[in-house]
Amino acid sequence: MNKIRIVLLTMLGIISFSACEKDDICVDGNTPLLVIGFYDVTDTSLVKPVPLLVVKGLDGGDTLAVITNKSLESIELPLRPETDNTTFVLSQNPTTEASTLNEDVITFNYESKEVFISRACGFVANYDNLSGTVGADALNWILAIEVKTTLVANSNETHVKIYH
Amino acid sequence: MRRMSRYIISTLLVLIAFSGYSQGKSIDLNPKDTLVYKQPYGLRIGIDLSRPLTSFFNDDYTGLEFVGDYRLSQKLYVAGEVGNEKKTKQEDVYNFTTSGSYIKAGIDYNTYGNWYGEQNMITVGGRYAFGSFSQTVNNYQIYDTERYWSPEGFVSGSTTAEEFGGLTASWLEAVVGVKMELFKNMYLGGSVRIGLLITNKESERFPNLFIPGFNKVTDGSKFGVGYNYTLTYLVPLYNKAKKAEKIVEPVSEE
Repeated sequence: MNKIRIVLLTMLGIISFSACEKDDICVDGNTPLLVIGFYDVTDTSLVKPVPLLVVKGLDGGDTLAVITNKSLESIELPLRPETDNTTFVLSQNPTTEASTLNEDVITFNYESKEVFISRACGFVANYDNLSGTVGADALNWILAIEVKTTLVANSNETHVKIYH
Repeated sequence: MRRMSRYIISTLLVLIAFSGYSQGKSIDLNPKDTLVYKQPYGLRIGIDLSRPLTSFFNDDYTGLEFVGDYRLSQKLYVAGEVGNEKKTKQEDVYNFTTSGSYIKAGIDYNTYGNWYGEQNMITVGGRYAFGSFSQTVNNYQIYDTERYWSPEGFVSGSTTAEEFGGLTASWLEAVVGVKMELFKNMYLGGSVRIGLLITNKESERFPNLFIPGFNKVTDGSKFGVGYNYTLTYLVPLYNKAKKAEKIVEPVSEE
């Protein structure tokens, strides 16, 4: 009879603990942000802050709200998982005068891939085959763009370098 | 005096020599009761009541399970279950359906000491189980905490169902169960089970979140929990007395 008691208690223990699951809250993953670093065009390894950097999303013809910068040297931008491209307006201004404001339009093209993370998180998007193009205008402040890694699977590394 | 002791000794020796024969057949001081109590042996088959009941009340679930056992000895039974389950689960950001069949086979050991005429059971047992199934992701949204492009919520991923077939899993189960004889040869019972996943063949894209017969698969754990409520009928094949009560007759020497 003692053995049965041990078996019953063990089962009871496992059953009661099996109810304590971390399955309800997503902590295992997220759709990554695109990390962009700003570098000096003459010395490509030198980090160069952008004066008065302002970033906005561009949806068709509509300019959306300002995306808060992480810093003036590096920014994290959300891409749109439902389409294969996202466009931003990046502006800089060496002075505080409105006349010296310089806006450049940059478009990122990619393939959105849904990856299953866990029971709680479900699917997140990863972006592969990333490429970036700067819309040409009269005076581009962005002089070059380099995609460091074509796969955006996390927000820990710099994916794109912008030289100015 | 000397003759007398020789006589006694030789008589004793003869008696000792014959004592071997005299012990050949014991004198039964407690004669056995001629009325032998025999217990029914046979094949017990039935269904799980909980699965059809859940199917009836829950639109997202259909299931059926047949159970059976065959009595081997006083306490030991071979036991098994076959079943089919289809379950649709709406999680926060996706919806999936698992559908498939399973078979379980193992033993039950009756630990209940029945009184005269009782045929009840409190069993501990084990099973090896195998399931074959498919999973379908019906729809999902893309989890993204960034609300810049979609302020009102997650963007929809795919709404076309995506099926992952040919999935299999095998597991071991520890079972604790009871069975009561309601009336002649008809039993009502139930069991709780803990499964330990041994093999789990899953799609790389979408893991097995539910396995028919095993139940919910928890992240980072190989354990599953299940139960059933059974209604079973014993098809009596023969009666047999309890073995332990038999008195072993010594083989008489010819």
